Amino acid sequence: MLKKSLYLIISILLATVLVVLQTTLSNLMWLSSVDMPVTIGLTFNTFFGDLIGMNSGGAIPLVGLVALGMLLAYLVAKILLIWINAKKSYAYGLAGAAAILAIVLLMPLAFYNLDLIAGARTALGKTILILCGFLSGYYFGSKLEGKE
Amino acid sequence: MKNLKLYLFFIFSSICFNLASEDFEYEVIAEELSSPWAIAMIDNNNILFTELSGQLRRIKDGVLVQESVSGVPEVLFAGQGGLSGIILDPNFKDNNRLFIAFSSPDEGKATNTLEVISAILDQNSLINVNTIFKASPSRRTAAHYGARMAFLDDGTLLITSGDGFNYREDAQNLDNHFGKVIRLNIDGSIPSDNPFINQEGALPEIYSFGHRNPQGIVVANGFIYENEHGPMGGDELNIVEAAKNYGWPAITYGKDYSGAMISPFTEKDGMEQPIKYWVPSIAPSGMTFYDKDLFSSWTGSILISALVPGDVRRLVMNNSEFIEEETLFSDLGRIRDIVTSPNGSLVLATDGPNGKLIRVKPKQ
Repeated sequence: MLKKSLYLIISILLATVLVVLQTTLSNLMWLSSVDMPVTIGLTFNTFFGDLIGMNSGGAIPLVGLVALGMLLAYLVAKILLIWINAKKSYAYGLAGAAAILAIVLLMPLAFYNLDLIAGARTALGKTILILCGFLSGYYFGSKLEGKE
Repeated sequence: MKNLKLYLFFIFSSICFNLASEDFEYEVIAEELSSPWAIAMIDNNNILFTELSGQLRRIKDGVLVQESVSGVPEVLFAGQGGLSGIILDPNFKDNNRLFIAFSSPDEGKATNTLEVISAILDQNSLINVNTIFKASPSRRTAAHYGARMAFLDDGTLLITSGDGFNYREDAQNLDNHFGKVIRLNIDGSIPSDNPFINQEGALPEIYSFGHRNPQGIVVANGFIYENEHGPMGGDELNIVEAAKNYGWPAITYGKDYSGAMISPFTEKDGMEQPIKYWVPSIAPSGMTFYDKDLFSSWTGSILISALVPGDVRRLVMNNSEFIEEETLFSDLGRIRDIVTSPNGSLVLATDGPNGKLIRVKPKQ
């Protein structure tokens, strides 16, 4: 139980870090494209700044939002796995993807179609974020499989 | 002796402070208004103002006309969208022409855009309504329209167009109207001396670019003063000049609402610096240049209404140089617009579904 909780926390943190990373990189790539002097050092500084900012300085702490989404999605996956015979890694991977999908699709509905996560403003950005959710869920599911 | 000097210093400071402040009082002109957004003074007691929910209202001889002005186009009233900016033609007394900016729903689509119309005020109706500008492309979002207007001395009209929130990078591209100041003739045609008129790939209406959500614009002393909302922090007062790039979102003093950095840069060659910025945000809204002498110590100041926490900022300026700031009217809540009456009193619009028009005048 303790190990499962640890895997769950790591999975949520992994998703959070990946979402932040996508936001930072997509932003810096655009800045670089308009000839702003983006360096490796600046990229690290900005990423760590975003990691702190998006989890403590924004309107909604990202980690809380991700945790809420993933806990709900994992719960649904756990229930479905009672009846459906599927690999846990894929089932929780899909659950993680669904959690991020819900966040990037539902948040704009509450805010006049505004994408508050800047990295989610394009279709490509949304796809990458959903993939981040899948990877985090896949990690969680594969750890559960390993434990069994 | 030392105490005496200190005492005299305090007396002197106190006299100076009293000279600098003004004794004023409020007079409520109208109340229970539906999100009043912008005010246009016909004269001291005749006022037109917009309500974001879609009504053009009128104060006639100091009294609110209950029936709203008819003939106003359909608006998208959602988020920050609705019936927004209004400005009178410089020759309004002769031609009754006015201009209104609003968020306009696209037919049959889930998109909308900033639109500006000209119209003639005939009694309590708008007639001869003509669209003179529609921002392109349309947006899905209902935010960051800009929608303020000012006339240049040559009779051309400046229109602020916001970045639409989701489209902030487009403020740096000249092939669209997001995050721009637009300059048009009053019939909607493009002035032949617009800065990008001969530049391939650039929209000819553009006067300046790199803006976020400009909420105030005023022309005074040969300068175009423009204020704009930053994100979390980074609200700006700029002096707008033709063809200049004001940097958004490549340079900014603000952070994103998510807490993420929008840009780690605050300056770059070829991008203009604000003459004043605010961190944290004050959410600037309307703006007026006070050129009257009813409140003599305010003459020559820029007055900016602000939504957060809700007050008016008086900026003492030396032409293009910011000198100092004073906070006024901080007991009224969020203030959406401020204008100067011909007699020198100020008229404010408080924000929200129970908004008011309030006149600020010297204490009797």
